[in-house]
Amino acid sequence: MTDDVLLSARGLEVHFPIRSGGVFRRSSGAVRAVDGVDLDIRRGETLGLVGESGCGKSTLGNALLRLVEPTGGTVTFDGIDVTALGRRELRELRRRAGMVFQDPFASLDPRRTVAQTVSEPLEVHGLHGDRRERAARVSELLELVGLDPAVADRYPHEFSGGQRQRVGIARALAGEPDFLVCDEAIASLDVSVQAQVLNLLRRLQRRLGLTLLFISHDLSAVRHVADRIAVMYLGRVVEIGPAAAVGGDPQMPYTQALLSAVPVPHPELERSRKRTVLRGDVPSPAAVPTGCRFRTRCPSAFEPCPDVDPALQPVGQVDGHLAACHLHGVVGTPVAREDDAPEGPTPADAARAPRRAGRAH
Amino acid sequence: MTQLPTPGAVPAEPPPAELPPTRTARPRWRETLGLLARNPTAAVSALVLIAIVLVAVFDETLAPDGPNEQDQSRALQAPSWGHPFGTDELSRDILSRVLLGAATSLRVGFLSVAFALVVGTLIGLLAGYYGRWVDDVLMRVMDMLFAFPAVLLAIAIVAVRGAGPTNAILAIGIVYVPIFARVTRASVLGVREEVYVRASRSVGASDLRLITRHVLPNAAPPIIVQTSISLAFAVLAEAALSFLGLGPQRPNPSWGLMLADSRGFIDQAWWYSVFPGLAIVLTVLCFNLLGDGLRDVLDPRQRTLMAGGGR
Repeated sequence: MTDDVLLSARGLEVHFPIRSGGVFRRSSGAVRAVDGVDLDIRRGETLGLVGESGCGKSTLGNALLRLVEPTGGTVTFDGIDVTALGRRELRELRRRAGMVFQDPFASLDPRRTVAQTVSEPLEVHGLHGDRRERAARVSELLELVGLDPAVADRYPHEFSGGQRQRVGIARALAGEPDFLVCDEAIASLDVSVQAQVLNLLRRLQRRLGLTLLFISHDLSAVRHVADRIAVMYLGRVVEIGPAAAVGGDPQMPYTQALLSAVPVPHPELERSRKRTVLRGDVPSPAAVPTGCRFRTRCPSAFEPCPDVDPALQPVGQVDGHLAACHLHGVVGTPVAREDDAPEGPTPADAARAPRRAGRAH
Repeated sequence: MTQLPTPGAVPAEPPPAELPPTRTARPRWRETLGLLARNPTAAVSALVLIAIVLVAVFDETLAPDGPNEQDQSRALQAPSWGHPFGTDELSRDILSRVLLGAATSLRVGFLSVAFALVVGTLIGLLAGYYGRWVDDVLMRVMDMLFAFPAVLLAIAIVAVRGAGPTNAILAIGIVYVPIFARVTRASVLGVREEVYVRASRSVGASDLRLITRHVLPNAAPPIIVQTSISLAFAVLAEAALSFLGLGPQRPNPSWGLMLADSRGFIDQAWWYSVFPGLAIVLTVLCFNLLGDGLRDVLDPRQRTLMAGGGR
């Protein structure tokens, strides 16, 4: 089972310090963009990662490739500890793991031709030796993503969004990676083009045996491409499982709310659809609620929610479907309450903090 | 997001490629030149500057007389057909000396700005790209240099190192380093955060490659504009240093020196100070107008540093 895991994260954290200005910079707290994520991505699968804007899904994708430095936890890629890599090994990692970015109008250098952009990984990694071989490889890559190789000498501003995104995909594929992070790769495209790019990604995945992490805020798109879906809320994975299970039988109130926001393309079903509209905004990742971080907006929050930080536990009918929710049994780490320890909680305090019922809300 | 094709309906063949764009590729710099040509002020300035540079290059062929040719019979003569700009107190031909002075003024201007451009851009790149303590240290040093009035600092440098053209170049160059450092840093700070820089890093590009291939080319427009405008001020600074006797030394002609020498004769021979002065005004004006034009073409948003400071 562990052999077919290509990439795994354990307790991954990315905290951005908040500095108060002035000459003597002080660190006053942190934005906990990614806050203790455990995640396994299996070889050859597409894992969909969904969540609202600002929940940390892009930061997580960047941290997996060390495009953002994790502040805690580990990432293992094909048996290699990514968090401990030196400069040279990191470069090899970046050949084997690529990224497709959200905005195709921002992700291509406006001063470089398509050929220069696509051949950059080849030059960086010393692949396909001389200029002519590289040009041949660039043509091959452009054809692979459905572009005419004749466009190689043009500049990005001459292309439409969909075409640019194809160029971005060609660049990501140039080093023949095993793993691709698609960070909202279709979010800024027209709907008709979204389907084309989505299909292109699926086709490429099958043909090249890629493993994909497909990051999106759009649960309906993810349901179509992903084998498994992970749902993120405020820096944590709160539910994960096979796409059919998470998309069809969600077990965590947040996923249920997300799913109920997806319109159904059938008028009668659409009318009878129950909608759960969440109250309020996402709390700031600089001030995460204690215990379950979703409790401030959860329609079913009850006593243990503020006091126990829920861990992922098996839920539902399907194997491998996990959710972090006390509705399925209170499992997790008790929280140290600040009013119990005015000097600030120590690790020891956290361990023996009393669980207090009835002090929620 | 409404409807997507169901997973089963994925076509085996690639989707029809979108129509290739019809416009042919054109290098950026040609586009820039085209836009510049449509700005009459900038275009005329550029032509005049090219003429001035040509004069400076071919000065010895163009000048009717040698720089120090004297004929005591014709001292301080008013402009005439024989001497269109008149003659000075040593009866040297002022036209010849203005033409020959162009080489001195432009050489000092170009070399000092080249020095400031290279050093300042490098400092700005390092400060802007690496940030943190590198930024703090480098930019505080720049702030210290910036705190001195420009000409005063140049005078101090020349006073320490001795008068002469080489030290004048160095002095003016050092004075302009902080400006280039600041302009470059500001530009780099923006470009550094661009997604395409992160995209290149994601495929494994090194810092050196990111800086040279992506950051510098995209951060260049304000630096180019600053170069043009700094040339204007450098020519002016050279004139000021020469005027004070700290630049090129007599008897070689330099516009600033000629102005200084003409001071004693300003009520007798207006032509003596007017023509070198006009040469300075024309050159400075053209560099400034060209800089404005370049800014409109390359970088319409950035207006602060060049418009404000009197350097």
